[in-house]
Amino acid sequence: MSHKRSSINRPPTPDVDKDRDNQEPTLQEIINIKLIESGEKERLKELLRERLIECGWRDEMKALCRAYTRKKGRSNVTVDDLVHVITPKGRASVPDSVKAELLQRIRSFLGSATT
Amino acid sequence: MTSKINHHQKINGQIFPQPCPHLADFRARSGSKPFWALHDCLRVKPPGGRAAIRRDPSEVPRCVTCGDASRPRIYACMACATVSCHAPPQSSHAAAHAASPACSRLDHEIAVDVDRAELFCCVCGDQVYDRDFDAAVVLAHTSGSLQPMKPENLRKRRRIDYRPWTPDLRERTVMVNNASPIDGTSTSSDDLPLGLRGLNNLGNTCFMNSVLQALFHTPPLRNYFLSDRHNRHQCQSKNGVRLCLACDMDAMFSAVFSGDRTPYSPAKFLYSWWQHAANLASYEQQDAHEFFISMLDGIHEKVEKDHRKPHNQGSGDCCIAHRVFSGILRSDVMCMACGFTSTTYDPCVDFSLDLEPNQGSSMKTGSTKLSHSCNGEADKMKSSQNCGISTLMGCLDRFTRPERLGSDQKFFCQQCQIMQESLKQMSIRKLPLVSCFHIKRFEHSSARKMSRKVDRYLHFPFSLDMAPYLSSSILRSRFGNRIFPFDGDEPDTLDDLSSEFELFAVVTHTGKLDAGHYVTYLRLSNQWYKCDDAWISQVNENVVRAAQGYMMFYVQKMLYYKASENQVAS
Repeated sequence: MSHKRSSINRPPTPDVDKDRDNQEPTLQEIINIKLIESGEKERLKELLRERLIECGWRDEMKALCRAYTRKKGRSNVTVDDLVHVITPKGRASVPDSVKAELLQRIRSFLGSATT
Repeated sequence: MTSKINHHQKINGQIFPQPCPHLADFRARSGSKPFWALHDCLRVKPPGGRAAIRRDPSEVPRCVTCGDASRPRIYACMACATVSCHAPPQSSHAAAHAASPACSRLDHEIAVDVDRAELFCCVCGDQVYDRDFDAAVVLAHTSGSLQPMKPENLRKRRRIDYRPWTPDLRERTVMVNNASPIDGTSTSSDDLPLGLRGLNNLGNTCFMNSVLQALFHTPPLRNYFLSDRHNRHQCQSKNGVRLCLACDMDAMFSAVFSGDRTPYSPAKFLYSWWQHAANLASYEQQDAHEFFISMLDGIHEKVEKDHRKPHNQGSGDCCIAHRVFSGILRSDVMCMACGFTSTTYDPCVDFSLDLEPNQGSSMKTGSTKLSHSCNGEADKMKSSQNCGISTLMGCLDRFTRPERLGSDQKFFCQQCQIMQESLKQMSIRKLPLVSCFHIKRFEHSSARKMSRKVDRYLHFPFSLDMAPYLSSSILRSRFGNRIFPFDGDEPDTLDDLSSEFELFAVVTHTGKLDAGHYVTYLRLSNQWYKCDDAWISQVNENVVRAAQGYMMFYVQKMLYYKASENQVAS
């Protein structure tokens, strides 16, 4: 666990996860990795981003963040504070239609990936 | 090392957030090298995508503590590259890593968000910004570009401090002796603000009258002529009697603001304009927008001849027309194959916008709340998509949206040296003092060989924030939150104040393509007036909102005086 001073400037190198190798990944993890590797996750993210902008969700969140920042004073707010305060509201206000569309996309991806 | 930190606060006149003590320490100890070392790990997903941090292109970053790869916020330590998740207040392995006894004294507080390539301080729990880091990210975005970044160039900015002026005794005497005060009693006669005077129709010249009415009440233009900056007598004695549209403007301004309310005939001006634009000289109906462009051009041309100095039009220091109306458009064309972006800047005197097509058909069914706040430009967009009403913001949004050029419009990529499919995006580099939006209501279909007028309603706000359409905003959404002034873009475009605009004139068109009538609505002292050739009448703002806007004139908010009752008399 001892860190050498010289290690500070070295470029990041891959860490080898010894513990992880002999553990069975969960189904959720497998799906997640499949999504990432195929690039589908990136496409889903892009789609989600687009939908949330279209339906006004992003502007709503922006307004909430602004209101919170104004209330607390702009120098007393951190990103963590904002994430903590806004996340529950944000999750709750994602339109069902957006969730349904995303779910449908993931389903069809899994369908095509397994066959 | 404090000097380095101080250096950070104000660069190019832009104020940057002060680095947190941890980032300052980190920089003091390691300098900017770790940021540049990260360069190899920066991956920008296919052209136009976001920057992310991956040691290997196919790496799936996962928290080394809990092994979870699906967490939304995953950070890599800047000192040792340990990847940790961060989900306070439940758990933060990133904060735990920064605080672990082995690490605590070795700058492990600063981490980088692997999906956004943005810096984060795990102790402060806040986003932090570093110029060198951001420079590295932007470089990764534009890597391979033939044009290297030249941040040094951006330093040459000159700003002149505002000095208030109060006339001294001598200047005051000169003013009193040479001024003929406008008759103050004239305003009480009909309660119309000064400068409202009908213009006689000289034979299908409503296209001209409507634009002139808007120009007479364009604050910077009005102030210019009323403060005698272009004196027609002086101009003529100096240059001889010859065609000068600015002289005619000056004469018209004098006539319109004289206090006389009987309709005025701008015959002399019409004649001069006919001489300038011979191809449009007839008693036929003309396009108001075409007239607007042509007359600005006429004022500009004259000054150009006078000075014989090549001026950069976009800089707006050539003539009054361009000083008031000209802005600079930025257009980026990105090659879809290699990501090389070529950027061009073009001056413009107005923004010609397409009406959104097939409105209503693309209605979104999302559970959206309709909010009617006045200043949220996005709210309007939202409502536009919901009720199927076109809005000015919607048009501007389309205008600045990245547009994929089809395979039939391939663009020559300087890097690939062949024609490639590309992505084009427009944005506004420099806003004019007065923005004129021209709505393309006259459609020409080359396929059917016919033209038609689009009569669709367009909603336009009385206050407009142009910030989302500025190059700085467009670039920010492309590169993420950076403090690096991108690619020759000056940071002063970020100025909040100057992006807010107020509507002061609307030119409307009723009728068909070949026969119709132009009417202007003017907003003076926050009251609306209808200028229909010789007739002036006060109208309710709802009438204006319901009108079919063809040209909308907005002035920068700081030049618009809502409350100033008698702009001239005071």
